[in-house]
Amino acid sequence: MSDHVNDLPEATERRLEELEHGLFTSDLSVNEFLLVKEAGFHPVGLVMGSSIYHTGIQTRKWSQSQELTKLTEAMYNARELAMNRMEEEAAELGADGVVGVRLDVNYYEWGKDAAEFIAVGTAVKAEDGVSRRNKLGKPFTSDLSGQDFWTLSQTGYAPQGLVMGTCVYHIAHRGLGQALSTTGQNVELPNFTQALYEARELAMTRMQDESTRLGASGIVGVRLEEKSHQWGSHTIEFLALGTAVTRTGDPVTLTKPTTIISLDN
Amino acid sequence: MSDVANDRSPDLAAVVRAAFAPSKSQKGGASTTSDLSIDEELNLHAIGWEPVELVSGYSVFSTPVGLWSWGQGEIVAATEAHAHAFANAISRIHRDAAAVGAHGVVGVAIERSVYSTYTEVTLLGTAVRPIGAGAINASGLFVSDLSARDFSRLMIAGWQPLGLATGASFVYAPRRTMGAALTQQSQNIELTNYTEAMYNAREMAMERMQQSALSMNGTGVVEVKVVEGPMTFASHAIGFAVWGTVVRLAAQSHRPMTPSMVVSLDDTRVAFDAATLE
Repeated sequence: MSDHVNDLPEATERRLEELEHGLFTSDLSVNEFLLVKEAGFHPVGLVMGSSIYHTGIQTRKWSQSQELTKLTEAMYNARELAMNRMEEEAAELGADGVVGVRLDVNYYEWGKDAAEFIAVGTAVKAEDGVSRRNKLGKPFTSDLSGQDFWTLSQTGYAPQGLVMGTCVYHIAHRGLGQALSTTGQNVELPNFTQALYEARELAMTRMQDESTRLGASGIVGVRLEEKSHQWGSHTIEFLALGTAVTRTGDPVTLTKPTTIISLDN
Repeated sequence: MSDVANDRSPDLAAVVRAAFAPSKSQKGGASTTSDLSIDEELNLHAIGWEPVELVSGYSVFSTPVGLWSWGQGEIVAATEAHAHAFANAISRIHRDAAAVGAHGVVGVAIERSVYSTYTEVTLLGTAVRPIGAGAINASGLFVSDLSARDFSRLMIAGWQPLGLATGASFVYAPRRTMGAALTQQSQNIELTNYTEAMYNAREMAMERMQQSALSMNGTGVVEVKVVEGPMTFASHAIGFAVWGTVVRLAAQSHRPMTPSMVVSLDDTRVAFDAATLE
């Protein structure tokens, strides 16, 4: 699986070696840590991947709604780089998966079009020694918290991978005539509506494609984020993110939840 | 790490020591100070521990003027200042806690600020001990940023906190040449030199945290906090700092806690407010 090019820096390997000798690091809270143990996994290390990426330029037509493929590509590439590096670290540790993955984008002063894409999570390994890697032989990734991870395992599903779809879309401005003709009226603005719809659909479809590739039976915890980053108000990135899951085949007995009234505020 | 601290850090001011004197004299006395909530205190008592006193540790460590602006590789003085400030603050909170007869400090709030000329670390937490236990040596104490609730849960599961592990690294971000910046202007491209600088800072910081965890004989670090990014006062300097609580399995084996599923009947929070559209 990780036979191909391993481009992790040397220092990383030293650090990972220490982790292989029994020490673990993790950004899980105590509750999450205990629940991950409860689900039959042991944390092996805090894994991280990052990439500082320069986004190119694409001209947009003022009055045309369109996907900005070059920017979409950049957002994809940079995230893939960060995710892959994180997965590589996890694979190096012999982990079965990574839980609590966070994907962040940071913009720095020193590069107007440069952004840092970062993926952080806690690599975990099954305590029974049976591999839980996904269909592609890679450690699974998941943005589920320790709590969600445990609950999911109770229902007989296992995470396969963090899947995402992105689409950077330029939404056309309205012409003066159009703007004037709708002044004072209650009216739907079909061009805006349509553009937003299309962009969202593209992002969602791409996310689903990724989950199909993993042979997953569903995606849980999907979030849809809309961000303009630094491109001005009419250019928006739609990002769909979720955890692809599949049935494990283990028999499940779902316990009936107890109803409680909590006494804290 | 703590050896360094002991060499460099002066003893607490006499005033502060005097403030702690009364609590030393009233052995097993009735009054305690703590910032624990009621249920945290109950949690502590449930596992046979009690709060003793609110304790703190503070340290300011200076860095040379003009350190941040230009250079290559790691900003060693800044990294050292960060390590010393943390080590000093930790050794002081140890001393405070030992003085009141505690066995550990939980719920430590960590305030850490890096300025261009100094690094400041403030620790404030509640000293705790097994109910009625006598004083122990300062070196045997643990300091942890876990809340009292997390502490008791961890103890129930058979784990024990050992102390705070920290690691930090500050590096200069390389500057791109004018030519490189121009040719990259319209391209989608990874800026490998920046990425590498970031990686180096991270690796060194993580490695230092792991070293300090290993020196405490820990088997793990939980609740690792990560602070990273360029410094506000020097955009070409990147800082990466991590800290967390070192733990070790104290019992024979991990004790499972078998959670049960609940549905809370509390009123749901307002998810959408029509007036503010939030």
